Amino acid sequence: MKIPAFGGSRQKKPKSSERKAKFQIQPLSRWHPRIRQLLGWIVTVGSVLLCLLLLPTRLPGMELLGIGPNWLLIWVVAWSVKRPVFSGALAGIVLGLLQDSMTSPNPTHALSLGLVGILTGLLQKRRFIEEDFISIAVIVFGMAVLAETIFGLQLTLIGDERKVTDIWIYYQRVALASAILSSLWAPVVYYPLNRWWQKMKLLEQ
Amino acid sequence: MVTVRRWWDRKGLQIGLLALVVGSAWILRQTQGELVLETYHAITRPLEMLQSGPTPEERIRDARILELQTRIVDLESQKTKLQDLLGYVEKEPLASRPIPARVVGRSADHWWQQVTLNRGANVGIQEGFIVKADGGLVGLVQSVTPNTSRVLLISDLKSQVGVSISRTAAKGVLRGDSSAEAVLEFYEKVPNVKIGDLVSTSTYSQKFPSGLAVGRIKSLDLKKLPASVAKIELFPPIRSLDWVAVYPKLENQESANQMPQKSK
Repeated sequence: MKIPAFGGSRQKKPKSSERKAKFQIQPLSRWHPRIRQLLGWIVTVGSVLLCLLLLPTRLPGMELLGIGPNWLLIWVVAWSVKRPVFSGALAGIVLGLLQDSMTSPNPTHALSLGLVGILTGLLQKRRFIEEDFISIAVIVFGMAVLAETIFGLQLTLIGDERKVTDIWIYYQRVALASAILSSLWAPVVYYPLNRWWQKMKLLEQ
Repeated sequence: MVTVRRWWDRKGLQIGLLALVVGSAWILRQTQGELVLETYHAITRPLEMLQSGPTPEERIRDARILELQTRIVDLESQKTKLQDLLGYVEKEPLASRPIPARVVGRSADHWWQQVTLNRGANVGIQEGFIVKADGGLVGLVQSVTPNTSRVLLISDLKSQVGVSISRTAAKGVLRGDSSAEAVLEFYEKVPNVKIGDLVSTSTYSQKFPSGLAVGRIKSLDLKKLPASVAKIELFPPIRSLDWVAVYPKLENQESANQMPQKSK
């Protein structure tokens, strides 16, 4: 629908023949900043929800010895790798509480994921490593082993009906399988999220 | 005062959003993820129809299974006749109207062995209900939402089941070790068992009715202290559960004869 150009200042599209459709979504840079911020938040929360919903599944290709990738850990690493330490810690704690809601309140996952967020923030990847793909997989591998170790320690210290030897025998299997799977699937989560956040950051400035 | 005002103007929205996020995560944790599980159920419901395995009726058609069923019915009727003769009143047997349900998800972290079923409070499932699959006992219902329920499997590290050997009535405690096998710790140092013996829940168990099949002894270690242990191969396919049946929990735990109650 062509808007008649009286004043000329309200016109949004050039009257060239490049217009293919009559209704087109404006490019993000032309959106109202508040709405853009809201959209950014919606995408962030939506990606967390997607990771949460993926956790109980064991789709073919995403399973090793009955263990799936640790999607929330990948999300925490993707978030904290280019953000300050405090922000990473908070993201880890929030996502840990969410994982508690899907399994059991104690022992809590907030401790392990929070620590992962802190350490990833401390890595200051921006300063040292420019490349994204392999470094993220390596970081996720190390953080997955760390997260499972911390949870194993939490279970040992609680000291209820579980046998300590059983915990640490199982730990070897879990740590390896979880680290391998999470580092393999990390780029799938990291790449689109990273691009979106970078785009949002650019538009804020 | 002005600087505080200015700082608040800048950071107020961020702090508000942060409080909202942390608060909602805490609430979600306290309600044990009811919203998330309901969403998961809504999303996977259309997908359930794509992966339809054999229904329970089809699998029962195997001739040998039918023969064993006839024998069981025979033995059960003999048992009731003998019990009537002795005046023996046993614990309430397992109800005969189970709720069938399907496994739609496994545990959301790596350390808990849980499964998520696609039936919940709307069909009458409550916490503490017993879950059986083809092969025997599978677990206990841990938490319930209107359309889903979460089951703690017997292969979990925290699960303890009072069991006894069917042949000789030697008793012990079955603990899971997060794999398809479990570890049975006997009460006595030299139990009267051998490899291949069948294991089922015992009358000492507080949470489970007695007589439910669990597995079979795979290996024995009689030299362990303080009591012997055995490795049990669990009958139900714990790694690949599909259809399960949910039974109501036990109502009365007392039995008319003078069996001592252990604190299990």
